[in-house]
Amino acid sequence: MRLASCRLIPISFMTDPAPGPLPSPPSASGVSASTPSNPPTLRQLFVGMLQVALSAFGGGLSAWSQRIVVEERRWMNNEEFLTGLTVARLFPGPNQINMAVYVGTFFHGLRGALVALAGMLLLPFTLLMLLGLAYFSFHTLPAIDRVLAGVVAAAAGMALSMGFKILGQYRRDPVALLLAAATLVAMEGFHVRLVPLVLVAGPLAMAWYWPRAGASRLPKP
Amino acid sequence: MALPPFLVSLGAAAFAAPASQLAHCEPMRLNDLGHLLQVMGTFLGLSLFSLGGGNTLLSEYHKISVDQFCWLTSTQFADLYALAEAAPGPSSMLVGLLGMGAGWPEGPGWALLSAYGAELAILLPSTLLMVVACLRWNRLRDSPWRIAFERGLGPITLGILFAVGLKILHTADTNTPGLIVSLLVCVLMLRTRISPLWFMAVAGVLGGLGVINR
Repeated sequence: MRLASCRLIPISFMTDPAPGPLPSPPSASGVSASTPSNPPTLRQLFVGMLQVALSAFGGGLSAWSQRIVVEERRWMNNEEFLTGLTVARLFPGPNQINMAVYVGTFFHGLRGALVALAGMLLLPFTLLMLLGLAYFSFHTLPAIDRVLAGVVAAAAGMALSMGFKILGQYRRDPVALLLAAATLVAMEGFHVRLVPLVLVAGPLAMAWYWPRAGASRLPKP
Repeated sequence: MALPPFLVSLGAAAFAAPASQLAHCEPMRLNDLGHLLQVMGTFLGLSLFSLGGGNTLLSEYHKISVDQFCWLTSTQFADLYALAEAAPGPSSMLVGLLGMGAGWPEGPGWALLSAYGAELAILLPSTLLMVVACLRWNRLRDSPWRIAFERGLGPITLGILFAVGLKILHTADTNTPGLIVSLLVCVLMLRTRISPLWFMAVAGVLGGLGVINR
């Protein structure tokens, strides 16, 4: 099994991310057969990601990315896309940006990742820079400041909802709730900084959750 | 490295910051490349700690830009957070706005330079790791390290997100109607699928009318 999965790893990637489709990530289950015969060029990748970013100006970036990458342009099938979402959520970095990196890497390695990222960020980041320049120029005007006070109240509500949004999946795992509570107390009560916190609590939590053969004290995720 | 003089003078003439706009303590000036690199180094080091989609870093961003380097007041930080949430695109682009705030006293040229520098720094390490992860996913997927990482870091992320939520709420520092709106938005975010842009628009109007203030 180990040998079989090793074989799927592109050997050339360390030196030369050669163009052409990489073996698709879920290929162990035989999905790679459906990899499209016409993978996007770097230019198409850039334009596609630009289109995703543009379409998502009203929100729902990941849904748009699925619609364009899977349904419209048929670059990858749905299973490959969902694998990407899993990887993007697991690894550090903003999910949507990681997703663009996944799509780019899938076809063109590191170069593809950078091109996809540029396509994804170009317009939103330019717009944000313009907004930022406007903010720093005018935020002292009383009218602007009053409106911002209201917007900030709403944004604070959104920030507050982030924790509750994922709380449900840990409801049946008292150890997880204890870990979360300890983390909260460390940050709120003792002002522990993020980096030392993760470096200490992370390995401890990983040791507790290390998969053990036969022992399934964990609820299914 | 010096910026083109016309950019500097443009900044001085057209965008000179009034005194009230300066941060509450002595800010670290971003007027030479060494300082800029130091700032980028700070964000580079944080990049790999952006668990759970990047929002776990918000408290740390506040500590860096308000308490440590004094680029922004707490109020400005809250404003920029709201701006990044309201703008289209990934909300983690907030780092670009923080970089802009850091360079702003030196004029818009430096502001943009440090904005791009900061955003690049926060994205680069996580992007490189993501590329490696994608290429090695077949081997990683069934690795016990992957499973332990996912299960172990999840609850820690949960705790951090609650701390971050409280931190932002504290930073927003609005009056009682503002607090009620925050709590209401939190509930609506969890119970409905209404676009958060509506909440911000309505709350912005309430702010303009003077119902919410700080």
